[in-house]
Amino acid sequence: MSTPSKGLVRGGIDDVRQVARGWRWGRRSQVPRSAEEFVPPAKSTVFPSDWSRRRPAMAAREVAQKAALQPLFRSQVRTQVDGLDVLERIEGPVIFVANHASHLDTPLILLSLPDEWRRRTAVAAAADYFFDTWWRAVGSSLFFNTFPLDRRGGTMAATPGEVLADGWSLVIFPEGTRSTDGWMGKFRMGAAFLAKEHGVPVVPVAHRGTYAAMPRGQDWPSRGRRQLTIRFGEPLVAGADESVRDFAPRIKDAVAALLDEDRTTWWEARQRVAAGAVPDPSGPPVAQWRRVWEQTESPVADAPTKRLAAWRR
Amino acid sequence: MSRPGFVLDVDDRTPPLIVHEGLGFRLENFPLGTRVVYPPESLPAVPDVDQAIVEALLHPQDMDPLPELLFAGMKLTIAFDDISLPLPTMRPPDIRGRIIEHVLTMAADAGVDDVELIAANALHRRMTAAELKHIVGERVFRSFYPQGKLYNFDAEDRDNLSHLGTTEKGEDIEISKRAAESDLLVYVNVNLVAMDGGHKSVGIGLASYKSLRHHHNAKTMVQSRSFMDHKHSAMHHSAWRIGRVIKDTVKVFQIETTLNNDIFPKPYDFLQKREWEWSLKDQGTMLAMRRGLSVAPPKLKHKMFHDVRSVYGLTGVNAGEVEAVHTKTLEKVHQQHLVEVQGQSDVLVMGIPYVGPYNVNSSLNPILATCMGLGYYFNSYIGQPVVRKGGAVILYHPLNEGFNQLHHPSYVDFYEEILAESTDPAVVGEKYEQQFAEDPWYRHLYRTSHAYHGVHPFYMWYWAAHAMDHVDEVIWVGADRKVASRLGFRAATTLADALEMASGTVGTSPSITYLHNPPQLLAHVR
Repeated sequence: MSTPSKGLVRGGIDDVRQVARGWRWGRRSQVPRSAEEFVPPAKSTVFPSDWSRRRPAMAAREVAQKAALQPLFRSQVRTQVDGLDVLERIEGPVIFVANHASHLDTPLILLSLPDEWRRRTAVAAAADYFFDTWWRAVGSSLFFNTFPLDRRGGTMAATPGEVLADGWSLVIFPEGTRSTDGWMGKFRMGAAFLAKEHGVPVVPVAHRGTYAAMPRGQDWPSRGRRQLTIRFGEPLVAGADESVRDFAPRIKDAVAALLDEDRTTWWEARQRVAAGAVPDPSGPPVAQWRRVWEQTESPVADAPTKRLAAWRR
Repeated sequence: MSRPGFVLDVDDRTPPLIVHEGLGFRLENFPLGTRVVYPPESLPAVPDVDQAIVEALLHPQDMDPLPELLFAGMKLTIAFDDISLPLPTMRPPDIRGRIIEHVLTMAADAGVDDVELIAANALHRRMTAAELKHIVGERVFRSFYPQGKLYNFDAEDRDNLSHLGTTEKGEDIEISKRAAESDLLVYVNVNLVAMDGGHKSVGIGLASYKSLRHHHNAKTMVQSRSFMDHKHSAMHHSAWRIGRVIKDTVKVFQIETTLNNDIFPKPYDFLQKREWEWSLKDQGTMLAMRRGLSVAPPKLKHKMFHDVRSVYGLTGVNAGEVEAVHTKTLEKVHQQHLVEVQGQSDVLVMGIPYVGPYNVNSSLNPILATCMGLGYYFNSYIGQPVVRKGGAVILYHPLNEGFNQLHHPSYVDFYEEILAESTDPAVVGEKYEQQFAEDPWYRHLYRTSHAYHGVHPFYMWYWAAHAMDHVDEVIWVGADRKVASRLGFRAATTLADALEMASGTVGTSPSITYLHNPPQLLAHVR
């Protein structure tokens, strides 16, 4: 506790310290639990992000991702990418639909994509989380190609439709938020709707290990270069007569099958799909700690190939 | 849309909270689990103040419209609340002035010549011309003050007091002769808190010591639980008995106004925000202000705070018959101030701000600080006190402002001589009240200078009587030890020390409630 009699400098330092700690400078501010119900609905002060898809920003992003993000990411985690060959058979734009367990998901997907895809892919990010201050908006747009998506269904500066129409591919996490236990949650229908509306294919993406490496509440990956795996699946196209309501579960099933495939083999996963026995991606109905416990274990990558380490991704 | 008041439970996410302490404030880390009572946010103001006033005057409660009560040749008196309301002072134009202008316009239209305006200051100090002008506005001031038709009430002017009889309980009713003999008495009030207004306006504001002593005494105040709840306040019961007798003699047209909680203008507005919602700018302003206050000389600090003029919004104006009007007024006041609190706690914490009703443009001496804490803030409840019987009260104020010799001369003697002998409100009242009330020198200063009446410090001490009777321990954080001791209390350096000191009374892990005011709140304790 600082009292006014301490003198200008000493008291000032104490005060600044107290405020920095109390108001969590540099971190997201918190609301006391008992006051949460009185927090006014967030004003939609969303910062525009059109600039981030223009040439100067793209050039800056190329430097930021190649010179900073990628080396940093690789220094913190190990990755294994599979199924990229599907991208050779299609042309953009597409919608990448993935499960969401960590803040590592976005860099994992982006940095796994071939460069020409990565440069033209935008990530839908929660407007209320990533675009509430100008510096967060600029930072996330610059490093992660993000554009704001309103989780509450309000109007936005740029709609995903416009981004798709510009020829950009999208990354959408239909769960809407990061998983609390690493298991997959309910899928919302936004991605299916967009794909159907704009007639673009959906590429299912499944990844594992991001929850174990950096779960919710952690702001840096755990030590020890945890293993992440990511797998791209066959593109899905909504049938002419297929409704959004039918298409959405099909996307979810595809992600679930990919997760199964990533855990086992392609053949076994295919058999389980045929038998209708794909393991539930939302996890077993067991005690919460066991669910978390299972997900905190990093996946084991395939046996390292004989390629030189420098050639591995 | 303004959010309701609520009770915060301090948890690990709660930042330090603002606590006022006289001409300054501090950031306090309260123990986890402390309950903090936050007042509701400011209610929206009425969009058109003039229209609201005219509407109230033309469609009063249980009375004829004002223009119908005005006629040529009548004697019209307009009384109004003095500088003790609102707190802090309102940024001009003052709402009273705006209402008085409308009343006078109607009186002029009706051809009324005999009009006098009286500041209902009872035993408060006489206001200066500038202070009067601030309240009534330049136009009214210029039209009435030079002619001596706008003046402070003088409760010691025997020739201009009128004894209207006694109540059924034998309480004297002695009020301004001019008001008593008027064909119509219009009273314009500012109902800042629930204790104001109603029959308290005329029955107390325009009354003499002879009348006031019946309810301004220790015995009545101990029975006023609380005096913010007129239905359970012995003081108000007495004022209501008196008011009903006045009503039989004098036609009173009561105009009551209610204000919202917008008391801190920019850049002080962070003081009325919820701390966890402070922006970086708010945090920076607060830090800069604290640094500034730490090096500013006392005079500058005093000026910084006392120059604050609040930007209140008018939430309602009601006119007509006193009791009908007051019922409407209280609805609005409660809407702005009421917070539900579940159950009492062992310790009540309150920060005393720089201003109370009796130190506008003056200093908050130790007696007034006690009155603010143990009087006004302690009594800001309905139902039962926020702290349990036998609990502890922790107050924040340095108690170092000293006494203003111009405004509070009798306070000095009360502090030096009376409190040195006893701090028991009943005892000091019994033994010394009469002597101070009739002291010719204090009377002279009250009538000719700007001094509070000789008996006024006793009243301040009575305001605190209920709290002193209710709790076992009163500790002042950051206070001058000698002063606290003279008042009969103890001083601590920090909250932790104060809780340690109180542990003998309330144990080592007491339940704590902090009343986060100002802005005003009224705890409805279930």
